Amino acid sequence: MTPLILPDRRPAPHPVAQPAGPVGIVLVGCGAVARLFYQPALHELGRRHEADVLALVDPLAGARDALAAHFPQAKAVATFEAVGAPPGSLAIIASPPKHHASHALAALRRGWHVLCEKPMASTPEECAAMVEQAAVHERVLAVGHYKRFFPVHGWLREAIRRGTFGELRSFDIQEGGPFRWPAATPSFFSPADTPGGVLLDIGVHVLDLLDWWLGEPAETDYADDASGGLEANAVLTLAYASGLRGRVQLSRDWPTRQAYRFEFERGTVEWQVNAANSLSLHLHGLPAALQGTLLAPDGEAGWTAPQCFIAQLQAVVAAVQGRGPVPVTGAEGMRIMALISRLYRDRRPLGQPWLRAPAPVTRFLVSPP
Amino acid sequence: MITAVIGAAGFVGNRLVETIHLEGGTVVPVVRTPARLALPARFAVDWRLGDALDVRSLAEALRGCDTAVHAALGDTRQIELMPAVFAAAAARAGVKRVVYLSTASVHGQAPEPGTDESTPLHTRHRLGYNNAKVRAEQAFFRACRRHRLDGFALRPGIVHGPRSRWIADTARDLREGRAWLVSPDGGVCNAIHVDNLVAAVRAALHAPAHQAGPYLVGDEETVTWRDFISTIAADLGIDPASVTVFPRAPVVPEDRRARLAKWIFRPGLRPLFPLVPARVKRTGKLVLSAMQSAPPPPVWRMRDPAGPRVTEELSLLQQCRWKLPHTRATRLLGYHPPLTFADGMARSLAWLAFAEGRATPTFTP
Repeated sequence: MTPLILPDRRPAPHPVAQPAGPVGIVLVGCGAVARLFYQPALHELGRRHEADVLALVDPLAGARDALAAHFPQAKAVATFEAVGAPPGSLAIIASPPKHHASHALAALRRGWHVLCEKPMASTPEECAAMVEQAAVHERVLAVGHYKRFFPVHGWLREAIRRGTFGELRSFDIQEGGPFRWPAATPSFFSPADTPGGVLLDIGVHVLDLLDWWLGEPAETDYADDASGGLEANAVLTLAYASGLRGRVQLSRDWPTRQAYRFEFERGTVEWQVNAANSLSLHLHGLPAALQGTLLAPDGEAGWTAPQCFIAQLQAVVAAVQGRGPVPVTGAEGMRIMALISRLYRDRRPLGQPWLRAPAPVTRFLVSPP
Repeated sequence: MITAVIGAAGFVGNRLVETIHLEGGTVVPVVRTPARLALPARFAVDWRLGDALDVRSLAEALRGCDTAVHAALGDTRQIELMPAVFAAAAARAGVKRVVYLSTASVHGQAPEPGTDESTPLHTRHRLGYNNAKVRAEQAFFRACRRHRLDGFALRPGIVHGPRSRWIADTARDLREGRAWLVSPDGGVCNAIHVDNLVAAVRAALHAPAHQAGPYLVGDEETVTWRDFISTIAADLGIDPASVTVFPRAPVVPEDRRARLAKWIFRPGLRPLFPLVPARVKRTGKLVLSAMQSAPPPPVWRMRDPAGPRVTEELSLLQQCRWKLPHTRATRLLGYHPPLTFADGMARSLAWLAFAEGRATPTFTP
């Protein structure tokens, strides 16, 4: 895969000082997210002398070896015991979600800092244990909510904070489509391996962003189509103390509009999922909408989604080196997991009137064999 | 009875899984890859992975099942290969009763009046899909005879319902002003709601073994394409009178790429494919791709409206003047479509409103 090149001049969402030498990386879990996201991103950090991959950990030799071909200097091992990375290294936890807590705790106990992929863990209690352990060992615990780095997401946050377009009246988010993640195993769909479906998978990003933009909702109403298994469709309505209301629809089933739409007093902002640096803006009263790319003050285009992923890694490395804040802390990740846990606890079955059994006018000619 | 559904993530396979499971039956959804588990995994069911093109893999997935339904999709080559694999895998797994989802398109999109199951099939259709399904169905019955299976092939027409492309695509075309009809009413639409198709499948699963064979299945009513499109238009608040009406069926020239692909992929040449060097194959694909690219629009021209979205398939379908009968299925399988066309469309449109984010239906136990 061609390494991703990060342009040197981009607006950083967090103040980052100059690198202080590469940080050693232990990549835990060599599945699809490691292959498609971390491998190219770590290559770029290596090219910039900001990170050095020390070890790849995965019990599956095939997955481990496939990634090892890209990092010949790294030890490819099956267990933590064989890693041998020094304290102060950064462990990236990219294993299946049910292992996040145990792997993060094991890493923290070794004196490694941790960047944990989303979802942070399976339960808020596991999250709390991770946060506590990070504090005990005085290590960084960051959570991989890289979509906060999207320029469009930062732009919206500022627009809300400054009241640029007046009061925010409502929002509508529709995200997802037929599941196409190249999962090597069925773990995404096994309740034994993961505590949730589409809400946990892609909803965790949406909820993190909403929390970042708007704070905690006063009321929620959640419904999904799980029936003894994991949901493929979910609908969430949120109400805030200010009177703001919003709706989120998530799907692994059918192509949604894949769009975020925010209605302000004086205009509407809309953008497509994963279009990190572009949006459309319709100011009320004007005859046409604007559509364009966000530019930094120096005129350069804002980061793309892959560049945001790299920027997240850079920010975590900077935090490890004491050069900047942790972009998304374990405490923030825990708050989102607590919200998800509450939503699952209070879930209602999704109304699906198209599923009602038709009147049984079919008369079978013989009994079932 | 434990029923395996191969292709459980597809539109029909999924509905079959939902129906059997939600009515208390035991169903084993079979999909090819983990990524296809999103819909079956909503239920606490024994889903399995199995490759519909690999006898050993599929036989393993069918292990312990009493009956099996084949609802998997594929390209024309896969369509032709899958039935023999299905029958062989079923025989190896000890599954005696097998139901194959064929299609009314084995008779063409506009079958001659009088067409029924006794009408001989041929492979001279304009659409390669029809010919592939004819060969597939014939291969299915040959394989069933070889393996001594009770083989039932169902031939549905336009399968509509939640997640149907006929619903979603028609709604899209109506919104974009690209829907169309052939005067006066678009001809007969041989529709069947997916729940009616599911009822037909279940009837086939329970029918006496000696009734094995092919069956046309459809909705009870005779409806036209105007009925179908107008029902969706009305739900979307679009005036059905705004739909373009052609005085006669538009002729769609076969595109050059499809013609070339048909020539390359004709059965006689297939055995030679493994001998073609990879570099030649790559170059061929590039040439095919270049043939598809349209020239840039002229600068000094205002944008024209997109116009009706004409496909050869829909043009052929709207020339249909014959409601395919399901009397044989009624007589021999006990098939009676449980849903009326109107009820079926109401369900489909309720789903569409949800899928498009326009409504959140309330749950009623």
